[in-house]
Amino acid sequence: MLNRRTITIIKRELKVRLFSRTFIIMTLLIPVFMFGILGLQTFLFHYSDTENAFLIVASESQMILDNVQSELLGAPKNKDGNIEFMFEKMNKEKVTIRLNNIRSDILEEKITGLIFIPAEALKNKKVEYYSKNPNNNVLLNKIRPSINQVLTDMYFEERQLSSEELEFAKNNVDFNGFRISSDREIKEEGIGNTILSFLFTFLLYMSLLFTGQMTMSSVIEEKSSKIVEVLLSSVSSKELMTGKIIGTSITALVQMAIWLSPLMVLISTAWFVLPPEFTLKLGMWHLVYFLFNYFIALITFLGLFATVGSIFDNPQDAQSGIWPIMMLIIIPFFIAIGMQTNPENQIARIASFVPFASLIIMPARITLVDIPLLQLILSIAINIAVMIFIFILAGKIYRVGILITGKKPKWSEVVRWFRYNY
Amino acid sequence: MYALEVKNLSKSFDSIKAVDDASFTVPEGSVFGLIGRNGAGKTTTIRMMMNIYIPDSGEVILRGTKIGQEFKDKVGYLPEERGLYKKMKVMDTLLFLAELKGKRGKNIESKALNYLKRFDLAERKNSKLEDLSKGNQQKIQFIAAVLHDPEFLIFDEPFSGLDPINTDLLKDIILEKKEEGKVIILSTHFMEFAEKLSDHIAMIDQGKIILKGSLTGIKSQFAQRNVALEAEGDLSFLDHASFVEKVEYFGNRVGVKVKEASQTQELLKLLVQNDVKVHKFAANEISLHEIFVTVAGKDAKNVK
Repeated sequence: MLNRRTITIIKRELKVRLFSRTFIIMTLLIPVFMFGILGLQTFLFHYSDTENAFLIVASESQMILDNVQSELLGAPKNKDGNIEFMFEKMNKEKVTIRLNNIRSDILEEKITGLIFIPAEALKNKKVEYYSKNPNNNVLLNKIRPSINQVLTDMYFEERQLSSEELEFAKNNVDFNGFRISSDREIKEEGIGNTILSFLFTFLLYMSLLFTGQMTMSSVIEEKSSKIVEVLLSSVSSKELMTGKIIGTSITALVQMAIWLSPLMVLISTAWFVLPPEFTLKLGMWHLVYFLFNYFIALITFLGLFATVGSIFDNPQDAQSGIWPIMMLIIIPFFIAIGMQTNPENQIARIASFVPFASLIIMPARITLVDIPLLQLILSIAINIAVMIFIFILAGKIYRVGILITGKKPKWSEVVRWFRYNY
Repeated sequence: MYALEVKNLSKSFDSIKAVDDASFTVPEGSVFGLIGRNGAGKTTTIRMMMNIYIPDSGEVILRGTKIGQEFKDKVGYLPEERGLYKKMKVMDTLLFLAELKGKRGKNIESKALNYLKRFDLAERKNSKLEDLSKGNQQKIQFIAAVLHDPEFLIFDEPFSGLDPINTDLLKDIILEKKEEGKVIILSTHFMEFAEKLSDHIAMIDQGKIILKGSLTGIKSQFAQRNVALEAEGDLSFLDHASFVEKVEYFGNRVGVKVKEASQTQELLKLLVQNDVKVHKFAANEISLHEIFVTVAGKDAKNVK
């Protein structure tokens, strides 16, 4: 399969992709884009428009009111949050009357809301919040600790407890993870590997989608620009497809190696010392496995993307054919991300042997837990088998598809192509 | 000696029979015209000859052995639907396509440059294809087909979209290649070009070969009792002349078939009697176009 003609095609693909300005730009841009998306997500999650929030805090008990007032105004969180408070002593009936009076102000958002802390709250911690938008968790999360603090303090004050005892009661349990692995040593586990597994998953996901789309559009370009017929007068469709996929895969692999090179330096040298909670339990073989797995994933998925490209002769039509393949990448991606909280959950365990999903989930799992060698070999064997199967399948559709132009083919026609004796 | 033998080729796509039991032979050193209208099955036949399509039945024999991948290296192909990598540079494209055929190195590069000079494109060798005009892109494609010096040249509609000067240049190169002893297969629906360049032809219609052989043989077979006429004036009286079998109009040229060979003189007499101004009167001559119409039927008349 790797004959002179295939190698010529590979060389051209490398020339166009690897030694191009686009390659340099994409290599720099994808990490920026990736962290940009993560950053944006974090920002949007925490962003809320609490500017100029104006709250009325009411209670029937002057004591609660005083304590809450000093706690709220003293809390550092509220100092920069621009939340203004007004404290009023009133009982439940008065609250109803007051709410009627300020209804229009609340609706016009002149007043953000009214918090009513009944005396009962000292027993059951139930507090009422009246607002146009009672579900503003960002705002409530800022206030909740202060009110909780006051109610807890007041509750225990009656029971004559020392502040240390109180502090102990309030503290949560702090788990320190130690990893037991086959190498007998028990090491304290940091969050380094969790971050890394997240990183691996994200890199795989992004670059498979990017490279896949790129392969697809380059097949469509060859098809719609009709150069494919010139190429086929020199090479067979199988050689053309093989050359294209291998050329693109090598490019993507080099790109991935560049992205992972800081990690390689980190693992293989002692130039950088990470704080203990970020320490990585990772060997060079992890990276080698990761790259090897990536290469199998590339050949498998690029085969699928190239097939879709060959079926359609314009990118608009191709979008309709691409979603099933995108699903094969996106669903495992979500499983892999969800797995970070418990890498041994049943779905993740099974999915790491399921064709396609395994390619994305296994690398993430292997960074988080020790996988028995036999299981690892099994998953690699499954993936290689699937890769070969997809490659043969893709070749059958590709050889027919690239020479068919005109109307968008139906799926039933595509199925018939298998039987064509091209 | 035949260079290529096409034997009983058939190819169907679903229920459509694109090529139906086509057989013909291409002699060594000939320019072979594969003639037919659009959609007649020319491109499918060529694709099977190139081993791009695998035929449902039949085979193509190259000098005694069945064609395979090695044939692709010996052939230069100019497909009807032209296309090149738009973003690739002219010289890179030529070298890449030559390398696919197994030819590389300085020698090929200087050859490419020579061809570019001939087509007046030498200074564009580092331009991207997309920056070239359509006509110029077509010239590059033509160079790509001949650059690796193939033994067989297959041109599918080579002249479409070219101006007269470049058409002549192309013809020159085709005849040059013929001089060098290459086998050239021309597929076209322009009968005029086929007639001027080919020495052997096969006519294909609705997937079937309807006529084949040497051009002179075919012509003499069809030319008997035929007069090619170019004249001014009303010719409607010919329809009523007792010795005229058939009158067919091809633009300013009229094909007249008389009932017996000796009656051509009577035809000339009749024309003079009717005050027709005769520009050209050629007895026993027939154009390929007329032959095609005769063979393929009346509905083929709109073929140029």
